[in-house]
This record gives sequence, C-alpha cells and structure tokens, in this order.
Amino acid sequence: MNEPSHAHKVPSFPVSSKEFSTVVQGIKTDFILSSYDDYIFVLVTQLGKMGTLLQARKEEGYGAEITFTVSVLLGKHDEPMLRACARQLIERTSDMGSSRPLLLSLGLKDHSRGTLKEIVERVCENKVW
Amino acid sequence: MDESTNELDVGKDGEGLPSTLSSFSSSCTLQQPKALHTFSREVQDGLLHFQILKLDKQLYIWVGCNSAKLGQLYASMPTPFERTPSLATLIGGTADNVGASIARRLALKTGWSIVLACNLPKNSPNLEAQAEIQLLQELKTLGFVNRATS
Repeated sequence: MNEPSHAHKVPSFPVSSKEFSTVVQGIKTDFILSSYDDYIFVLVTQLGKMGTLLQARKEEGYGAEITFTVSVLLGKHDEPMLRACARQLIERTSDMGSSRPLLLSLGLKDHSRGTLKEIVERVCENKVW
Repeated sequence: MDESTNELDVGKDGEGLPSTLSSFSSSCTLQQPKALHTFSREVQDGLLHFQILKLDKQLYIWVGCNSAKLGQLYASMPTPFERTPSLATLIGGTADNVGASIARRLALKTGWSIVLACNLPKNSPNLEAQAEIQLLQELKTLGFVNRATS
C-alpha cells in the first residue's frame, strides 16, 4: 500500500486536500495536507491543536543559487527541531518538483529527531503537490 | 513504514479506538468523517469556497473567492485582558486588512483561537460581509457558535 487506507482526496473543490492518521513513534498523529495555488499547507498534530505555525520557502538567488528560509509565524520560536522539520520538508518538496512555500502547523507531544523524521516521510508519501 | 501500524488506528471489528481529538475520528474505515470540512456557496457577488477545520478550542478556516490562493493569514484569540480578541497578521502584512475583522469576530463568537486564511478581493465589503454570513451560518450548523455573546 502506498498510502494509508483512510487518506481522503477531495477532487471537485478548488483546493485539494488529504487527511490521514497514523502512529509516529507510538503517538497517534493526525495529518492534513492542503494544496493552495501559492502554498502547501501541512498540519500535523498529536495534541489536537495547531501548535506552532511556520513558513518555509525556497528562494533563488544569484547564479541560480537556491536558499531555503524558515520563519516561525506563531508559537515556539526557540524549538530548533521544529525549524529543522520545516527545513527538511521544504527541501524535500522542492526536490519533488514543488516550487510553492509551505505553511506548516506542528502541534506535537514529541519533538524528537525520530518523530520529526517520520513526519517528513509521511508527508512526502502523501504529496498533494 | 510498516503497514501494520495502520491496524492500530482501527480495531479488528471496525470499532474505533478512543481518539485524543474529538474532531478526528479513528472509527470504522468505511465511514470515517473528514476532519476538514469543505463547502462552496454562491452569493450575490461571486462563488465562495470555504474550509473549516475544528481542533481543540481552535478553528482553522480558509475562505476563497473564485481562487485557490491562500490569501492573508490571521490569528485571533480571546484574551482575558480585554473584550476584543487579539489579532496578529501572519502572512499578508499590507495595510489592507481583508478578513482581519472576520477573524476577530469569529474569535469573539466562538471563544476559540482562530487561524483564518482569507483570500477575498480588496475593496469588496459586500463580499466580505457575505462570506462572514455564510461562515457563521455554517459554524452554527456545526454547533460551534451556539449562543449570542453578552
């Protein structure tokens, strides 16, 4: 199976979305991915709340140099693992051909490297871009 | 990822396991309700599209008109210090605040934190008003706005 059996795609509405629930490092984790024209929205929650909101974007500088920037819009500004997660996600989505910035909402109980790594994998397995 | 982890979400006879989120249902895979509620409404000035996501005392809402852009992003939350909920513009940051007052009023009426992505055209107060009416109607139907605030 390539994706969780209960991932829903919403086709006729202008914004396509997917949602699914899985267990990450022993904790039930809910995902909602929504594809806007100009953003990809990724919400991942273990707490039932939005948690920290981050924005991650890719910029092309001089000589086709690519830089990625992550900013915290709301919530924990001082949690480096959340920024690292956002950074990994923008790099991966960029690799997968997306040029859209990410709006990322992380409401997690566990900020361990293992959890964040799995979250990145689950999101990439369920691309909406 | 091991596929067997999916089994943990649903019991063997299709019965749900307790969910930590009231808005996410991990019950029978045959009829899992969607957490992200989407709907569209034709109003006088155009076609409006909405997404409503209920979380724990929080709502994420997107409203768009004829477009699938995210729009301006606002966060509004009730505060014990004053009657007017606080407001932060997270994405957008121009002087034009289409949607800002909608976010505030939703926070006031629900008592919850609101994150609102509003993609409505500038200088269309009618459309803004119509969008707010549709949104409130839907929130009432969903039971998230059930009484007038004093």
